[in-house]
Amino acid sequence: MACAPNRLRLLCMLLLTFGFFIVEVVVSRITSSLAMLSDSFHMLSDVIALVVALVAVRFAEQTQSTNKNTFGWIRAEVMGALVNAVFLTALCFTIILEAIERFTEPHEIDRPDVVIGVGAAGLLVNLLGLCLFHGHAGGGGHGHSHGGHGHSHGGHKKHKNGKVRRCETLEDSRSTGEETNNLVGNHNNSPNGVNPERRMAGKYEMCHSDNVDLQINGSAPYEELENGHDSASQLNMRGVFLHVLGDALGSVIVVINAIIFIFVWTPCKEGTVCENPCVGHYCADHLRNISSAGTNETVFNAGPCWVLYLDPTLCIIMVCILLYTTYPLLKESALILLQTVPKQIDMHQLNSRLRDLDGVLAVHELHIWQLAGSRIIATAHIKCQDPTSYMDVAKRIKDFFHNEGIHATTIQPEFVTMNSESRASLCELSCRTQCAPKLCCGAIDPAKPPDGALEPKKLCESKTPTIPSASATSLEIISESVEDTSGAESVVIITREVESSL
Amino acid sequence: MLPLSIKDDEYKPAKFNLVVKLSGWFRSILADKTSRNLFFFLCLNLSFAFVELSYGIWSNSLGLISDSFHMFFDCTALLAGLAASVISRWRSNDSFSYGYVRAEVLAGFVNGLFLIFTAFFIFSEGVERALEPPDVHHDRLLPVSIAGLLVNLVGIFVFQHGGHGHSHDGEGHGHSHSLFNGNVGHGHSHGEHGHSHESKQGHDHGHSHGGHGHSHDDPHCHDDPSHTPGKGASKQILQGVFLHIVADTLGSVGVIISAILMQKYDLMIADPICSMLIALLIGVSVVPLLRESIGILMQRTPPSLDHALPECYQRVQQLQGVYNLQEPHFWTLCTDVYIGTLKLLVAPDADSRWLLSQTHNIFTQVGVRQLYVQIEVAAM
Repeated sequence: MACAPNRLRLLCMLLLTFGFFIVEVVVSRITSSLAMLSDSFHMLSDVIALVVALVAVRFAEQTQSTNKNTFGWIRAEVMGALVNAVFLTALCFTIILEAIERFTEPHEIDRPDVVIGVGAAGLLVNLLGLCLFHGHAGGGGHGHSHGGHGHSHGGHKKHKNGKVRRCETLEDSRSTGEETNNLVGNHNNSPNGVNPERRMAGKYEMCHSDNVDLQINGSAPYEELENGHDSASQLNMRGVFLHVLGDALGSVIVVINAIIFIFVWTPCKEGTVCENPCVGHYCADHLRNISSAGTNETVFNAGPCWVLYLDPTLCIIMVCILLYTTYPLLKESALILLQTVPKQIDMHQLNSRLRDLDGVLAVHELHIWQLAGSRIIATAHIKCQDPTSYMDVAKRIKDFFHNEGIHATTIQPEFVTMNSESRASLCELSCRTQCAPKLCCGAIDPAKPPDGALEPKKLCESKTPTIPSASATSLEIISESVEDTSGAESVVIITREVESSL
Repeated sequence: MLPLSIKDDEYKPAKFNLVVKLSGWFRSILADKTSRNLFFFLCLNLSFAFVELSYGIWSNSLGLISDSFHMFFDCTALLAGLAASVISRWRSNDSFSYGYVRAEVLAGFVNGLFLIFTAFFIFSEGVERALEPPDVHHDRLLPVSIAGLLVNLVGIFVFQHGGHGHSHDGEGHGHSHSLFNGNVGHGHSHGEHGHSHESKQGHDHGHSHGGHGHSHDDPHCHDDPSHTPGKGASKQILQGVFLHIVADTLGSVGVIISAILMQKYDLMIADPICSMLIALLIGVSVVPLLRESIGILMQRTPPSLDHALPECYQRVQQLQGVYNLQEPHFWTLCTDVYIGTLKLLVAPDADSRWLLSQTHNIFTQVGVRQLYVQIEVAAM
């Protein structure tokens, strides 16, 4: 399967961590150390994080759209990152709680030598994990092809722009429906149930003009794909990396603590009367004071108390570091899931530039959101003049969005109606029943109205009673040409319709 | 005239006034019924947690201290729900073209995750205690856990009765029921949480999933005034919060039962077993919420439209002039708000406007109010 490097790494780390978890549980049973047991549960949570990331990667490979998930499972990686970030935060909270508990009731470490051994082994495992995930959290995994985007475009940062231009015009005529298909894989009900690879081949045929173009076109989509896949899986790998980092820090703290404990702490030896001033038992202390005052023996004190407080302090420091590094990941994945406009896109500017396009009268309901990684989806209502000019405008709009890096767009055309605020040409409907009032505008220009005082536009739009008189004459002209020569009544009715719509 | 004072504060730009901002938030919280309930319950929970903490420190009982920490953890879930219910009412702006309405789905999801984490934590503690039974002071734990149980029962009552008195639409219930019909049996005695509704009409008002308690004054999921506000707009938040309260109640019930068992029959093993059972129950009860939120966040086709959509596709394809319908994408923005995009391949002489309006009509009938139809004219 493609995308193997990521999966392989995750699987490797998963097996290592799980094995280590088992080792820790066994050791904790042997030495009956509660601290080791709780640390092993932290390892278990690490295993769970890795499993989540693995599941997310596996799901995200299925980019084919299914009946239920029409966008495919690409979002799974963002979800995996979010789950990992939330788990990390919850883990941090539990660690804080445990640390506070330790502050109020300090514990000694039972078998510091065993703790050092196991802690060092855990640190090794975690360092290995860090090396595995650090280099590739920044990208480098090779995306697999699902047919590719089909064409690179001007303005994209690839260097091969100039040469690919020639292919673009050929592709564009077919490309309107194709990018999204390529993006999200074949939809099951799609009539072009053509294999994406075959479609790519079709493009190669179209671009037969230049061999170089073919090659460039062939390779470019793969690179684009890698980028897209990378930035989505980046998020996921970052989550895993942070988890492993947290665990490594934990192991470091365990080892440091145990070492300091061995060298600094003087424990209570068996057989001597010894007091532990750090762990406060009010009743026991009182009794002991009474008894020691009576016996006049030398009482040993257990070692310096600050050693016992070192553990919780280091834990809190570690929690702060973890929270600081997890917060950006949490924020980023949450923002994607909240359907934010991606940060590299300026809506205001985009809107104004879209409006400046030729043939676009108005833009509303513009929504841009990020599916995952670099897959950005945009939808909008574009108001334009008439259906005939719409196809040109549509092409220009699609090109515009492609230049911005948005490849999956759905543009709903809205045509200017009679009652629109813009006074542009209003004749867009094909001639059917509503022909007459529309023709009143168009027919005025060639045919002089009897009432020359009124402007052509005003005739159609004014609500004054002069309409029937003026348009009646023009309508007389029309009624000769129109097939259904209904009586004057219907004509008047039609004009009234026009009035009310105005 | 000479100036009488040198105070030029009014000419300075307004400083960031924390008090003003906080009071603004307060007003926003108190305006809506859901967030009001959440806020008061949060205060109640927080105060009880503080009382428990101070009592535990004073009596030096580790069990009470850890239980109070558990309540603090629950308070964070309530806080997340409250924050989400306030945030999802903010207006849309340049960065958030759909507004912030998805926050409630995200809050429900995060709450579900926290719950799973809590269940995992309780399970691990249960295992630890089974292997090494600590010394539990039952006499102090019992009255406090009974008090905690009462607090949680208040919460359940509040969030169950949150939303009566608004019309149930078959559509909205179809949305919630179709997921829960195939649900695993919960096995817990609550019944409020029970999605045990066989009838798809959803006329039983006792099915509280935590209530749809929010006012319908402001449209939640969209600024479009023509859009009737989603009745379950805070459904996810309330469901998450409700599950959290139920989990806490179960915890208190478990503690009481195990304390009684230990006192009467001296079964030390009862405590860990109860904890593990509770952890399992919590885990199982969270699954529906997680499945729903994950479905929404993964841009899945809305489950309630699963059967209606193919019919709509057929109807659209039968319209005059339409050759084909391609690439339909339908997804849920938040509860009961569906958004769809599709492409129509039409004949060159087809009436685009008529096609557009007909398509919109067809899909509005199933509840998709935001539709983007791209018209592509087939080259002849």
